[in-house]
Amino acid sequence: MRLLIVTAKDLRRVWSDRKALVINLALPLLLTFIMGLSFGGGMFGESKISAIPLAIVGEGIPEQFREQVTDALDETGFFAVDWVDSTAAERQVREGDVAAALVLPEDAFARIFSADSLAVVLWKDPGSPLKAGIVEQILDRGLGRLQAGEAAYRSLWPEDETTAPDGPGGMSWDEFFAGDVVDVWNRWRDLGADPTLTDVGDQLLARVDRQFALADALETETIVMEVHGKASAAAADDDSEFNLFDYFLPGFAVFFLMFGVSAGVRDLHRERHNGTLQRQLMSPLSPVQVLAGKWLAAVLQGMIQLLALFVAGSLLFGVNLGPDPYSLLVVVTVTAAAAAGLFMLLALISPTEKIMDNLSTTVILVSALIGGNMIPMEAMPPWAHTVGRWVFNYWANLGFSGVIADNESILVQRQPVLMLLAAAVVFAGASLVVYSLRRRRGGLA
Amino acid sequence: MIQVKDLVKKYGAHRAVDGISFEVARGELFGLLGPNGAGKTTTIGVLATLLPGNGGSVTVGGHDVAREPGAVRSLLGLVPQEIALYTDLDARTNLEFWGKLHGLDGTALRARVDELLELTDLQEHARQKVENFSGGMKRRLNLAAGLVHSPEVLFLDEPTVGIDAQARSRLLELIGELSAQGLTVIYTTHYLEEAEQLCDRIGVIDKGRLVAVGDKEDLISQIGDEDRVRVDVPAEARPGLAAAAMGWTGVESVGERRKKVEIRARDGGALLPELQSWLAAQGLPLSQLEVDRPNLEALYLNLTGRGLRE
Repeated sequence: MRLLIVTAKDLRRVWSDRKALVINLALPLLLTFIMGLSFGGGMFGESKISAIPLAIVGEGIPEQFREQVTDALDETGFFAVDWVDSTAAERQVREGDVAAALVLPEDAFARIFSADSLAVVLWKDPGSPLKAGIVEQILDRGLGRLQAGEAAYRSLWPEDETTAPDGPGGMSWDEFFAGDVVDVWNRWRDLGADPTLTDVGDQLLARVDRQFALADALETETIVMEVHGKASAAAADDDSEFNLFDYFLPGFAVFFLMFGVSAGVRDLHRERHNGTLQRQLMSPLSPVQVLAGKWLAAVLQGMIQLLALFVAGSLLFGVNLGPDPYSLLVVVTVTAAAAAGLFMLLALISPTEKIMDNLSTTVILVSALIGGNMIPMEAMPPWAHTVGRWVFNYWANLGFSGVIADNESILVQRQPVLMLLAAAVVFAGASLVVYSLRRRRGGLA
Repeated sequence: MIQVKDLVKKYGAHRAVDGISFEVARGELFGLLGPNGAGKTTTIGVLATLLPGNGGSVTVGGHDVAREPGAVRSLLGLVPQEIALYTDLDARTNLEFWGKLHGLDGTALRARVDELLELTDLQEHARQKVENFSGGMKRRLNLAAGLVHSPEVLFLDEPTVGIDAQARSRLLELIGELSAQGLTVIYTTHYLEEAEQLCDRIGVIDKGRLVAVGDKEDLISQIGDEDRVRVDVPAEARPGLAAAAMGWTGVESVGERRKKVEIRARDGGALLPELQSWLAAQGLPLSQLEVDRPNLEALYLNLTGRGLRE
């Protein structure tokens, strides 16, 4: 594996070049730091982001459910919620008073706790695409979790849907189980003369069984995500809090990855210019090994850059690093491999370093724009969603968002990972073809 | 050791190397001279397996460069015109990298690197970054990098460009020592005095063709053994000077070249008293006088002309 000698040399040069390190590592961290000061989180305390104004239309929805929705949205720390009628909501969106308005149907409450699907409408302020995009993304994920949780609950206890809402003795179950054990026991004893006591006991035992079953289910990894989602959405506990960095950091990370890897791969032109490439080509290494060694160095450089950024983001701003140790690592690896392949190809098709500079800068900016690094994809027009699929960073953003923001394992995020892997193979293969052609024509000497 | 026969290398319609043939014996120091763009570096590129030729054949150590590039590369060391080093790394790390690429490792690698650092007087600077080296130190390290795997043939492509006289002198000494130890060297340069000082045999290449090849003495004798004395006098006085000079002792021929009278004689210095007397008699001052003895530069200019090359 002599190609590793080339890889080690390139990494050593990156390490010795402090300026490149500043650009590749410190600047993204500095930007993240500035974002931290602006938006809060982690060492900067709890979320200090200016609340995004959100109107909710919920005509006919019970007050109790409204309060639950308001509490759940308040828990995120991102929204200032105001319940209004549809006319007011439309006016507020049009005038830019709110970033978006969420319109819930009258039967939303019933639908959430039934098997029927729930359709909500979101009106977005086109003048505030970023905030509206955040609203859409967070609500979309919240509703997704709620639906998943409900689906899991219904599949576990289908009999709940047919159980009468009333408890024993005309009391609701909440009333029956209020107080401590003695209170419950006394209520049970008072019902002793009642012939339904046996039924009450059966129902009580059944309820306890279900609680144990739920506890077991929570420990089952394949069900954890779904059941946990229900608990989070319903109880709005700490686990369900949204960290804005979970959404922004992956985009920034991939954006700076492209600059870092591009700068590293551009070295191919400098090596050609100063004769070190020719010297390597005169060594016993095959030309393919020389290229593969440089590609591997770019991949490792990209991985180190991404991991350093995510770890720093986690330590400073509480960014989630995914549900397990390997999911993030897999996405990082395939993303760095795809980026290294792409910029290696650009370096090889560029006759000079200057052309490579211009070409890579153009590719970085265009792909960052249509791939969702600059503006969240939710805020982009429909054509961008179609075009965006043709740039690797679209899939990288999707993969990172899945692992970091949605806390999903790569078992769930298979499509982005496979697409990135395919991109890496295609770019690396094309690089090899161009490299061989250039060598045969003497274009590298 | 090296046989080049009818080598052709084309870039599109342009023939950068146009049917060159020469041989270099084992242990010989062969100089390849030529003006900028003559085809020297392209020839070295083909010999070093870096460029594919378009015609002819090249063998190094009995191996064909086109069919057995791997075997050829194992025999070769290259010291290119550029400082082909990683200037952001230190000298030792550079040499270790090139050594590892050629399969050296462990004690053998360390010993070879120490040996080369000593040979090039860089032991004290082994851990300094190359970017902090002087031009001469970089050139010496560049040479060491080409030698790290103990090649049998060394290509030196203008290795003294951009360094001061002392550094150049030391580098030429080093190359002379290596040649004396039996290393086969092909040395390209346009510093003619270097080639004259170092090389056993010389080839002159111009516009892709080898216009002369042979021992130094043989080549110089091709342009004759007369001195050339050029005298700058007003145009109206030139015919008179030419006529007078034909009568002086030792003068072989007289002509006009670049608005000067050129007198060819066996001993140019011996003409000076008669020349001064003639000028005094005509009332003319001696404004400019050049005396060229036959040397490599004279040969080179004779072969490649005095026109500027881009």
